[in-house]
Amino acid sequence: MGRILLRQLVGHSLAHEQGDGRPKKSENTRLKRVIISGVGAVSGLGGDVPSLIEGIRQGRSAVRFMDGWDELTGLKSLVAAPAELVNPKAIPRKYRRTMGRMSLFAAQAAQQALKDARIEDEARTSGRMGCIIGSTMGGAQSIFEAYDTILPERNITNLTSTKFFQCVSHTAAMNVAQLLGITGCVMATSAACASALQAIGVGYDLIRLGRQDLALCGGAEELHPTVTGIFDVLMATSTNYNNEPQKTPRPFDKDRDGLVCGEGSGMIVLEEYDHARRREAKVYGEIIGYNTCGSGAHISQSNSASIISCLSNAMKDAGISPADVDYINAHATATLQGDKEEAEAISQILGDNVPVSSLKGHIGHTLGASGALELIVSLAMMAEGAIFPTLNLVNVDPDCSGPHHVINLLRRKIDIFIKNCFAFGGINAALVCKKAEN
Amino acid sequence: MDMTNEQIVAAVNEVFKESFEIKQADLLRERHLFDDLGLDSLDVVDLAVGLQQKFDVKVRDDPRLRGIRTLGDVYDYVIELSLESQSDKKPV
Repeated sequence: MGRILLRQLVGHSLAHEQGDGRPKKSENTRLKRVIISGVGAVSGLGGDVPSLIEGIRQGRSAVRFMDGWDELTGLKSLVAAPAELVNPKAIPRKYRRTMGRMSLFAAQAAQQALKDARIEDEARTSGRMGCIIGSTMGGAQSIFEAYDTILPERNITNLTSTKFFQCVSHTAAMNVAQLLGITGCVMATSAACASALQAIGVGYDLIRLGRQDLALCGGAEELHPTVTGIFDVLMATSTNYNNEPQKTPRPFDKDRDGLVCGEGSGMIVLEEYDHARRREAKVYGEIIGYNTCGSGAHISQSNSASIISCLSNAMKDAGISPADVDYINAHATATLQGDKEEAEAISQILGDNVPVSSLKGHIGHTLGASGALELIVSLAMMAEGAIFPTLNLVNVDPDCSGPHHVINLLRRKIDIFIKNCFAFGGINAALVCKKAEN
Repeated sequence: MDMTNEQIVAAVNEVFKESFEIKQADLLRERHLFDDLGLDSLDVVDLAVGLQQKFDVKVRDDPRLRGIRTLGDVYDYVIELSLESQSDKKPV
């Protein structure tokens, strides 16, 4: 009970402590509790949450060789984890015309999540529901098409009116909010690979501060050779496995050689605890802590010191200690430096007892969608009491050897887990989730 | 633009089918673009782009576009453009 009360009262953004370090029990500093009441997903493993979970449970990889990508001169990584866009015309043209591929993924995942959470029309249009969705690039294919129209003759007269809405960084957030009629806070987070987790963090803050009762949060991303190309230029992609796509990416493995881009969308419905209880909503878990911070050290990568800071502050926000953590769903994209820094941070703060695994080997790095998609799988692991292993992790790299890596399916009760995401800009995000109380 | 009126009507219809997913059966000349065919202000911009690409003309800044209300108005407008282009080609 003490911990629950602490969790209700402490938030790093609103923490008002008494002289003894305990939070004030004043109503105006009391934060709301936030639960997850719906999930939706489109990934390389299928167009819904069950196919994602089942694919990962079976240890399947969505990574394959990408035909035609070798037409982009200089691109060395020719593998990716594509998702299938099924029946986009189910979305009326009026809404679909401004959606690129990633917004369509987002719309489909969002529709699933709202249906799963049984959110009625009145809730969406009440102004008490927000829509916060992130992405790394915006609509990569649409951006490419727009410049392909403009640049040959430096002429904008054949640019369609809908192209802007397909391109921009808030394309998924605005399109989904329009499609679903959501009239509360509509916002896009854009912090590359931490975008989805930041979106969930924003939704968490909005609800716990009492500004919204519900929030549809998540991220979306679409594959494009130019997107993989950006990572390729930075020598962060996997290039040694073009002939054996299923063997990459290899998070924490000694033979890892970089990330593999994926695509899709993950969406969750966040809901204020009492609001959910009143309508007897399904509860996947409770968010009890969150932190996001910058490293201030390097533009293209995070470091162990700032990851430690992020994890520590997320646990402090949750009112828990490292001993309370049962599982960490790692960011671990299989880059040489990123995996090393994350492993070092995890082992320093949590030792070698807490199981750690990454899902990038199954669905690739879905960039701005990764935080939400991987959170959804982590919730399933918590419900099942099983930790799915890191696919393609065969020999742990000595540089990553500190944590307890999960190489085979591990049956383990999970009461609290942490989801990590790290991004270009040295941006970190960590979310702490707790098993739902009946 | 060297096309018969029938070819122009068919090509305009193609623009409406490709750009706005309107069925052939609904493409009647008296149909109002907004009220009957469901277009809006964004679609009008894209109609101009569609006509430019289909007929290789520049119409985006043509003030006559603002007077278009029905599908028949679009047919007549493109036919007028066709006549103008033929007139431009005549030797002086």
